[in-house]
Amino acid sequence: MPVPPAELTAEFAMETSPEGEKSPREQIEAAKQAASESGLAREAGPETTVLAGARAEVLEALLEAIRASLDAGVRTIEVKVEAEAEAARFD
Amino acid sequence: MSEAQTTREAPPASTPGHVGESVVRPDGIPKVTGEFIYSSDLWAEGMLWGATLRSPHPRANIWSIDTSTAESMPGVHAVLTHEDVPGRKMYGLEVPDQPVLAWEDVRYQGEAVALVAADHPETARRAVEKIAVDYDVLEPLTDSEEAMSECAPKIHPSGNLLRHVRIRHGDIETAKADVVVEGEYEIGMQDQAFLGPESGLAVPDGRGGVDLYISTQWLHVDRDQLAASLDLTPEQVRLTLSGVGGAFGAREDLSMQVHACLLALHTGRPVKMIYGREESFFGHVHRHPAKMRYEHGATKEGELVYVKARLVLDGGAYASSSTAVCSNAACFACGPYEVPNALIDSYVVYTNNPPCGAMRGFGAVQACFAYESQMDKVADALGMDPVELRTKNAFETGSEIPTGQKVTGPVPVAELLERVTDMPMPEEESPMGRDLRELPGGVSNVTHGEGVKRGVGYAVGFKNIAYSEGFDDYSTARVRLSISAEGPLVEVHTAAAEVGQGLVTVQAQIARTELGVEQVVVLPADTSVGSSGSSSASRQTWMTGGAVKAVCEAVRQSVLGKVREDIEDTPGDLRLEGGNVVSRDGGILIGLDELLGDESIEETREFRHKETEPLDADGQGDAHVAFAFAAHRAVVEADTELGLVRVVEIATAQDVGKALNPQAVEGQIEGGIAQGLGLALMEEIQTEEGKVHNASFTDYLIPTILDMPPVKAEVLELGDPDSPYGLKGVGEPPTISSTPAIVSALRDATEQELSRVPVSPDQIVGIAKKPPERPPQPGSRSPEYPTTTTIQPEE
Repeated sequence: MPVPPAELTAEFAMETSPEGEKSPREQIEAAKQAASESGLAREAGPETTVLAGARAEVLEALLEAIRASLDAGVRTIEVKVEAEAEAARFD
Repeated sequence: MSEAQTTREAPPASTPGHVGESVVRPDGIPKVTGEFIYSSDLWAEGMLWGATLRSPHPRANIWSIDTSTAESMPGVHAVLTHEDVPGRKMYGLEVPDQPVLAWEDVRYQGEAVALVAADHPETARRAVEKIAVDYDVLEPLTDSEEAMSECAPKIHPSGNLLRHVRIRHGDIETAKADVVVEGEYEIGMQDQAFLGPESGLAVPDGRGGVDLYISTQWLHVDRDQLAASLDLTPEQVRLTLSGVGGAFGAREDLSMQVHACLLALHTGRPVKMIYGREESFFGHVHRHPAKMRYEHGATKEGELVYVKARLVLDGGAYASSSTAVCSNAACFACGPYEVPNALIDSYVVYTNNPPCGAMRGFGAVQACFAYESQMDKVADALGMDPVELRTKNAFETGSEIPTGQKVTGPVPVAELLERVTDMPMPEEESPMGRDLRELPGGVSNVTHGEGVKRGVGYAVGFKNIAYSEGFDDYSTARVRLSISAEGPLVEVHTAAAEVGQGLVTVQAQIARTELGVEQVVVLPADTSVGSSGSSSASRQTWMTGGAVKAVCEAVRQSVLGKVREDIEDTPGDLRLEGGNVVSRDGGILIGLDELLGDESIEETREFRHKETEPLDADGQGDAHVAFAFAAHRAVVEADTELGLVRVVEIATAQDVGKALNPQAVEGQIEGGIAQGLGLALMEEIQTEEGKVHNASFTDYLIPTILDMPPVKAEVLELGDPDSPYGLKGVGEPPTISSTPAIVSALRDATEQELSRVPVSPDQIVGIAKKPPERPPQPGSRSPEYPTTTTIQPEE
């Protein structure tokens, strides 16, 4: 039984930098770790994470994840945000 | 009310038939003779064979995947990894959390890592073996309680707790009970064990799209997930249902669908994939294992005062439909009994065990085993007859489940119990000197009657029909009425999956009944018509039956409108009968062939059930559409020295609302009981550290005809006021309470506690090892629950 979509879904895809202090894998791990702490994250691909939930908490978690990614050496982050009107399950 | 008893001859059947008649199913004889074409029998010119590389580890990191050797093998046309997934790399029925092909982590043994297409299945298999994957093997997390602890490793970024349903009903703090009974129960991981493993044929259309011929339960949800992962529009992905060899929930999720389509689009050739039995065990979800802790409080007169329940379901590695299963387990945790105060916490967690999801009974099975075991315990503590206790607390129309939802329509819990109690008991001859086939162990020549004891047990179960918690549940049907060379012809077209339950027959019966035309053709189910939803949740006859009825009514109105246009002074009360338009007095006004000529009438309708709503923070809300009930009485004999069991007889009574095809209802009742018997006595996927030990029908036992006892069944037709013809879903209730009835009977025979299913011989003999004591994990135990089991003496 599919569930209704979340109020806000943010997908961010990272392009790692091979010249950074940390290895590409470590860069991605840092971003995923930050996203994971929000409790809203799920994997969507090797370098892609999705945050789904209520608008405010997704935006907050997204900012944290972007900050952690940049700190880890990621230089390019592609973000796609989708808003839904009905989001009962994730409220 | 009709009665069915499998020990007598089958009821007379007819083809074609109308609603309420037993109809011979068109696929019945071909299945028995081996002529039925399953999806595994499909073939296309120039097709390739697909195969899947699966992780041997329940938990590991993937460091590299080397496909070069496999790619260079003669006959190999493609080797694909996650890099070749053009669209969404994840899929999932409720949450897209499962990789189409793993890239960095594998989370259960059997997770798909890479694919091969080759010109021969054996070549494909060998190529799979040549793919080199560098795994960093990690310790799996396989204990559901441990998974809830804060220090457990996170299996998914969102954490391990997939859903917690919290129900607070009444006032548990002030509830006073004379007798308190506690118990802990466990249910093993059951497999749906359909006989036709996953299979299908993907055919590229040459324009970038793909046609998939497939065994599934829900064509449109498959299509939508496929389109997302293939990066195609839904219109570019067309699915047609092929011969399905059983489902029981295991075909709700994607399995080889997406892999076959990927290979077909990559190679430009048709690709067929078939799982063998072993691979099938890794290719679909299973019934959630559960650990359940209960506390029942009752007055000394036997009225239930409160129930506290904590249920922990092991969801395995991916979500599938776990969140809905968790909700069902919570909603039905108290059984069909008046419980004024309830405190229920139902959890489902991720682990590195095989993924679990939908299976016949869908959360109600787990809870029923626990609450019915508790009812026996309460009766025992009160010195009361267990049936009397159940009857005293039985739901009636207007009773509330713990979510505060009132149960409307007929609620014959007490009547069902009375009926199974009143059925004559099977004769009890001395076990000594009996034919071996009538003793536990049968012709294995074990007991000759010594140590054999008989027991009797009762149980009642209930479950929701159709989808819940606000889901927009609907089914679509298209009907065309035309004139063929043989006369009036009705063509029924839906996307509803015939999975062996007899839906094709029911659709034709409804069309015949509503349109008075004998010649009815049910067209193949496909995605060229709107969604019918899934063949699950005991909903398809209600929903698609309702859609077919609604569209037939629309066609009938169009016909009668045409009559009024074409014929002056038509009488007001007309109906369709025998291929004619007939007046109230039975006179033929005009034949349909004459009325329509070369014209045809086609209509499409969607059918929806009444709206439901999500549960609130206290688990309150009208989340369900309707409920179905069944009661079972089991008579068993146990060899108390060797722990072997013979189920002597099952008696059951079930309210089906209206039996559209009584013979099919009887089949559902018997089949459901067989699956319930399997869970009670033999069916369990054995895992150790996340690895499956018995992925075969040699080691995973399912009941055979030798294990199935005679079934006495009484079918009540009380009529639901909200459904088409008053019908209720019939597929799941037989499975729900047959298991606890059998275990109750075993307790009666052996005087053992038997708190876990499937019941093993060592439990019966009383030498089963108890699980090792483990200190409570942080967050794993609610403070409301004491850690010891006590029965308070009467004041």
